[in-house]
Amino acid sequence: MSQPTDPPGTPPDSAIERELTHDEFDPIGTAVLITLYFLILVGMWLFTYFVEFLGNGPTVVGVIG
Amino acid sequence: MTSYIDQFPEEARLVKAAMVSAFLALAVGATFGLLQVLHRTGMVRVLSSADYYTALTAHGVLLALTFTIFFLVALFTWGITTSLDRNLPSMRFAWGWYGTMVVGALMAVVAIFAGFLTEPPTLLGEELSASVLFTFYAPLQAHPLFYLGLAIFVIGTWIAGYDWFRTYWAWKRDNPDERTPLPAFMALTTMLFWWLSSAGVAIAIVVFLLPWSLGIVDSVNPLLTRTLFWFFGHAVVYFWLMPAYMLWYILLPKLSGGKLFSDPLARVVFVLFLLLSTPTGIHHQYMDPGIAEGFKFIVMVNTMFLLLPSLLTAFTVVASMEHGARQRGGTGKLRWLGKLPWRDPVFTGMALSGLLFAAAGFSGMINAGMNINYLVHNTFWIVGHFHLTVGTAVALTFMAGSYWFIPQVTGKPLWNRTAGLVQVLLWFLGMVFMSNAMHRAGLLGVPRRTAEPQYENFAFEGAIGSVGELDAQVVLGGTLLAISTIIFLVTIVMTMLGDRGEVPDNSYAGTLSGPEHSPAILDNLKLWTAIALVLIVLAYSLPLAAIVQRGGLFGPGIDGITRVLPPIDTIGGLVEWVVGR
Amino acid sequence: MDIHTYEKAWLGAALVLIVFFIATVTYGTVGAGVEMIDDSGGTVDPNNLADHERFGDPGVEQVGENEYEVNVIASAFFFRPGSDQRGFDPIRVPANSTVTFYVTSSDVIHGFSIPGTNVNTMVIPGEVAELTVEFDEPETYGLLCNEYCGFDHHNMEGTVEVVPEDQYDGGDGQ
Ligand code: HEM
Ligand SMILES: [Cu+2]
Ligand SMILES: [Cu+2]
Repeated sequence: MSQPTDPPGTPPDSAIERELTHDEFDPIGTAVLITLYFLILVGMWLFTYFVEFLGNGPTVVGVIG
Repeated sequence: MTSYIDQFPEEARLVKAAMVSAFLALAVGATFGLLQVLHRTGMVRVLSSADYYTALTAHGVLLALTFTIFFLVALFTWGITTSLDRNLPSMRFAWGWYGTMVVGALMAVVAIFAGFLTEPPTLLGEELSASVLFTFYAPLQAHPLFYLGLAIFVIGTWIAGYDWFRTYWAWKRDNPDERTPLPAFMALTTMLFWWLSSAGVAIAIVVFLLPWSLGIVDSVNPLLTRTLFWFFGHAVVYFWLMPAYMLWYILLPKLSGGKLFSDPLARVVFVLFLLLSTPTGIHHQYMDPGIAEGFKFIVMVNTMFLLLPSLLTAFTVVASMEHGARQRGGTGKLRWLGKLPWRDPVFTGMALSGLLFAAAGFSGMINAGMNINYLVHNTFWIVGHFHLTVGTAVALTFMAGSYWFIPQVTGKPLWNRTAGLVQVLLWFLGMVFMSNAMHRAGLLGVPRRTAEPQYENFAFEGAIGSVGELDAQVVLGGTLLAISTIIFLVTIVMTMLGDRGEVPDNSYAGTLSGPEHSPAILDNLKLWTAIALVLIVLAYSLPLAAIVQRGGLFGPGIDGITRVLPPIDTIGGLVEWVVGR
Repeated sequence: MDIHTYEKAWLGAALVLIVFFIATVTYGTVGAGVEMIDDSGGTVDPNNLADHERFGDPGVEQVGENEYEVNVIASAFFFRPGSDQRGFDPIRVPANSTVTFYVTSSDVIHGFSIPGTNVNTMVIPGEVAELTVEFDEPETYGLLCNEYCGFDHHNMEGTVEVVPEDQYDGGDGQ
């Protein structure tokens, strides 16, 4: 946590415990979050497209006759 | 201690003025937002239902154009000067473009507000009013002052862009071998697609709508002016968004205690926006007659690929935050989230904006999906969507950013950190309620842009939840948002009235993978602009030609000019003849 | 360029997602038969609708065994036919029919939307929106304008009645 006395927007340098370079840093948390996001997107897309939309007939269709 | 005002005292005054202009627009616009919420649901109707549309025009113009774009010019001025470490060439010139924007905005706003009067004054032989909403689709007609004001406002932004470019060119002459710093790169690529796309709306206004509103030409082709509006209308959403992206890329990592994960990918993202933000506008016209299905499909493909830069941004920005959290001792798969500086309103506001932008990503994907547009087009769903994007991802990021910028440009510390924190949380909560209910109401078929969505012949029915419950959520959300806006304005005013004191340094995030890793070709703006132009020509030439052929350049059944200017008729005929070949 | 493995994976996943969305929409067109409003409705002169073969006398017309055409003029602030509360006929068609709407505007841009269904189009002066819909079950639907068209836009509504076949007494035009 940044100190409550720091003005907001101050980078919390004081609290940095270690420097991580590009190669040392493993963004596994980001990977987990983004995978979750991916799954939510796919699930909600399927529901909205096939249930909310195609289940919401009548729909504008191609002229058959 | 080096804040922006110490480094660039002159520019800081301009940035401050532009931000204050943005906040004034926000104050008035948000008031109308609350009135709209109360009016639509029937809770309290202060205005007549006819005046509702005047209010909605003001809300759209003040928030979507004035608030966002004034903040943008402030931010880009800061970004250019800070990252190039260079003054603008001439402050008089800079105040000139700012003044142009102010004059244009005031003209448009006066024309809109006159619409509230029972007897609007007459100007140029016409009643002053402009209740045409911020999309001003012809043949609804506004007073010429409105069109003229918008055109002047846009021209002001063009000149501002030129000012930033010439600052950059001067810097380039002095530093021929250096990579363009990231903030400058972002501002310049954004301006490039802004010039390309706003040319569409400028043509719509100057060639068609203004002469028509002045009575010089008799009619317009409504599908043509509408298409020209959307030529600009999708790119403008990225014009709102790019400043927010800029803050997420260059400020958020720093606030988290980390570094930007990847400078090269940030550049790729902005190049993709330059390429794709304009040749996608027809996705706002999926439901329009007069445009072939094939064109709509092509535009959908472009639009879907435009998801890519935003999806990449999600990764880069979250990874940068994670980097900060881990540097500060965060561990675990997700426990590091707790190490982020959640008590800093600047950070929290931006992080929550990003979260709601992820949600908006979902409804945006639906909006992009061509045929599913039958379900959502012009429903309240759309309003729910863009209050998450421009109304939160952009607006809340700007508000949170202001808690950093106002101290920078005044040298005065933020008045009250807790107030700021409460403010961003309230906005987040309010928007969750309001936009969720709007999305759901839209799925029931509740229309947008409607003063009284209560009908004689039928009622809206849903599987879950009643319209009453959704209305209650919208009102609750709208009220929280209004309170949040008030706290924001109070915090800003109190800060500006305060005494000078200790403020953060003017700096932005370093990078983990820096520009030395990005191919030099990414900085070749001429190349990308040329490709962007080619894509625009590919996406738009055939649809525009078809529209002109179907409806005429100047409207259906009327071959152009009657009253004053026969030469335009000749030019119109010539263009029609060329396009008709 | 120096791109992290996870980020490369995400780039791949994002591309897969995009292609998946495009594929779903294509399925909607090819598999489910959803067709977009397009340029097939043709153009009209909005100032001379009275002389137009379709819109001179708008209404419902039977054109095949179970096929109907409905010609509608949207004007500020009513649908003709459609706005029964304004004294016009409601739009009335039998169940189990294929109905093609031809909608145009006599003045500004309007919307034509049957809430609770996927029937939704813009109505642009000079253009004719053509949309074909299959109505299987008898039901009374609402009809509304969902594009702002002026001070009384919120009162621009109407009714679409899909009546049982045996109760259908022919369109209003007959
Ligand atoms: C105080 C918070 C806000 C509230 C309560 C609010 C409420 C609303 C409501 C209810 C509508 C829909 C009206 C209708 O379709 O009938 C609307 C439209 C809109 N809002 Fe907001 N809004 C707020 C803030 C914002 C912000 C911050 C922005 C952008 C920066 C914004 C941009 C828009 C736009 C562009 C429209 C569409 C106008 C149109 O359809 O012509 N709003 N707002
Ligand atoms: Cu768009
Ligand atoms: Cu309407």
